Amino acid sequence: MPLTGLQVFKLLPNTNCRECGYPTCLAFAMKLAAGKESLDKCPYASPEACAALGAASAPPIRGVTVGRGPRAITVGEETVFFRHEKTFVRRPGLFRVLGTAADRDALLDAWRALRIERAGEVFQVDGVAIPESPGSPDAAAAASERGFPVALLAATPEGATAMAERIKDQRPLLVPPAGADLGAYASLAARLGVPLVVSGADLNALATAAMDATRAGVTDILLEPPGADLRGLHHSLSAIRRGALDRIHPGLGHPVFLRIAAGEFEKAVVGITKFASLLTIEDHGGETWLPLWTLRQNIYTDPQKPLQMQPGVYSIGEPDATSPLLITTNFSLTYFIVSTEVEATGLACHLAVVDAEGLSVLTAWSAGKFSGDRVAKSLRAMQATERVSHRIAIIPGYVSVISGELEDALGDGWRVLVGPQEASDLAPFFRDVWGAGDKPPNLP
Amino acid sequence: MSLELKPKKWAGAIREVTLGAGSRRPVTVGGGNGLPLHTFEASFPHRPAFALEITDIAPPRWIDTVRQPWNGVLGQPAAAARRAVDEFGADLLMLHLVGTHPDRGNRSPEDAAADIRAVLDSVRVPLIVKGPGAGPKQNDVLARVAEECQGEGLALHSACQEEYKTLAAVAVAYGHVLVAESPIDMNIAKQLNILLADASMDLRRTLIDPLTGGLGYGLEYTYSVMERIRLAALGGDAMLNSPMICLVGEEAWKAKEVKASGGVHWEVATAFALIEAGAEVLVLRHPESLARLRKQVDCWFGGDTCR
Repeated sequence: MPLTGLQVFKLLPNTNCRECGYPTCLAFAMKLAAGKESLDKCPYASPEACAALGAASAPPIRGVTVGRGPRAITVGEETVFFRHEKTFVRRPGLFRVLGTAADRDALLDAWRALRIERAGEVFQVDGVAIPESPGSPDAAAAASERGFPVALLAATPEGATAMAERIKDQRPLLVPPAGADLGAYASLAARLGVPLVVSGADLNALATAAMDATRAGVTDILLEPPGADLRGLHHSLSAIRRGALDRIHPGLGHPVFLRIAAGEFEKAVVGITKFASLLTIEDHGGETWLPLWTLRQNIYTDPQKPLQMQPGVYSIGEPDATSPLLITTNFSLTYFIVSTEVEATGLACHLAVVDAEGLSVLTAWSAGKFSGDRVAKSLRAMQATERVSHRIAIIPGYVSVISGELEDALGDGWRVLVGPQEASDLAPFFRDVWGAGDKPPNLP
Repeated sequence: MSLELKPKKWAGAIREVTLGAGSRRPVTVGGGNGLPLHTFEASFPHRPAFALEITDIAPPRWIDTVRQPWNGVLGQPAAAARRAVDEFGADLLMLHLVGTHPDRGNRSPEDAAADIRAVLDSVRVPLIVKGPGAGPKQNDVLARVAEECQGEGLALHSACQEEYKTLAAVAVAYGHVLVAESPIDMNIAKQLNILLADASMDLRRTLIDPLTGGLGYGLEYTYSVMERIRLAALGGDAMLNSPMICLVGEEAWKAKEVKASGGVHWEVATAFALIEAGAEVLVLRHPESLARLRKQVDCWFGGDTCR
């Protein structure tokens, strides 16, 4: 917990020597407590003062990096309980559990190639979890060679050693069996300098295990929370986060590790929403992964920033020069709704996404970011006007007022057609106003 | 060093709201005095309730995955209601009067009232009635339905900041619950409840619909606004402590991803995240989502450990 000015003041020599640049030690203490000054400026600070201030300014949850190279992943470093208080910062790593399949290398190659772009983020398999088996050191090496961060799901200290030694320079995450005696695993993690997962039957045992691992020389620790069912797990997850933020026990200030067995989709949902930082997931299919990736994207989006699309002309279906040209803002939510609705109509369209600083249509218009001039300039810049031969631009119904201004600004025979207010009414709009086929309408 | 975690105590609690009266078996939601699902430190007299959505006409926009369990009864509200309650185990039903929309059949308020009557005659669970949406038709339909079903404790969906007076009046006059909808905005949610209280609505008869964004389509906005509303309510704000209702199904099944991947996961993820944020009434479309969520919630509030 951060120290108050008075607490800091008690750690200073109270000589008012002014060498720090402040008239009194108290004034300097106030600046220190606010994080606006560094203790380096006090030449007489005691080692105790340095230690106390250092501990107080350390993040409540440590960062832990797994893997090396471009795909290495850092988790932890969270500072809030609710995302709206600031934001969640480190997206949890979703690791895929590799079984003992015969086609191991082909599978790993496919996982490495997997890339799904969604709303400005690339979804990929963040790492590979290898359960201990006779072939697991080879499997760990194969995953590591492909650049994946690796979690080693050990069953025995000997197996853990064989796997970890094989890729010890790649910062694998060592995961002992839940509830196992920590001793041998902690020595191994300390000796190789790799991160370690600790567990405990209850929160007290968990926090104690983390302290024991630290004493054994392990620097990077993840906590595997207790919980016999989803309710128990949720309790642990909430208590660990709250305890870490309130700094009630130093053993709680680490990121959380969670195993998701086959079919445990709801557990993964709770993990992603409630503070888990690294999850190993047994299911491989897109029907599991796509919603989880998307949920993580939603929860870890910075609530202080509107989600924005890259401005530009997006093709829905395979539009040609006779297809409708629709205009909307670059607020991602707006884009998603409009593009989904357009797709549902079955009519191919050009969708021009105009830079409105990530605001929705009405908000953007009220803020002057969606005026006729601005939209026209943007359409020309993205060469939207060259995509079609018909010279008709369709604007959202909420901003019908800009139609005259936009026609003037576009000039050159362009006409503006006012679309529906809600994207869900695009189908009747296309049917009744645009015309039944793909042909431009006969306008009055 | 031993570990001591003090339970968190709050000044306020969520209001209890009872849906259904008259010939209905009532369902009460709300009453919790802590953060959602924090059963380890707060008390929750009622668990979240699940509604299934049925429609007056064959729903034009449902994809095959979600139509399939309703084969043979789509657009037949009474038969669909029986299936939803008897086979699928819904606590509540939401009849969406989609066919009363001027662009989707323009059915009359009388037709709507007849549909509701048929549903009330076939099942005994409380009923949420969703009108055709904004515009004059919304009030015409819901006012007629409210009158027809006097004393049945329907939940009328929904009133908004711009248009609430008629529905508040009929809800008061005929003994119904009113859903107050705000566009993912805590201030408007509060303002609307103040307006409803001024219009003689008993706030023990209102629900907040914070407007649901489906997974991948604004879920995070709904999630955070609900967390903030819940915190305000627990802090003692009596104008924000109504239970919240989320129309999960219609948003989750809109996602283009549900066509490619399993839609039930999409609906479950949306619903579960919103329960964590404070949803107390969840309107779903797929019975499998209902079964999966029910299992988790029953475990959660049931007392015994289960997997």
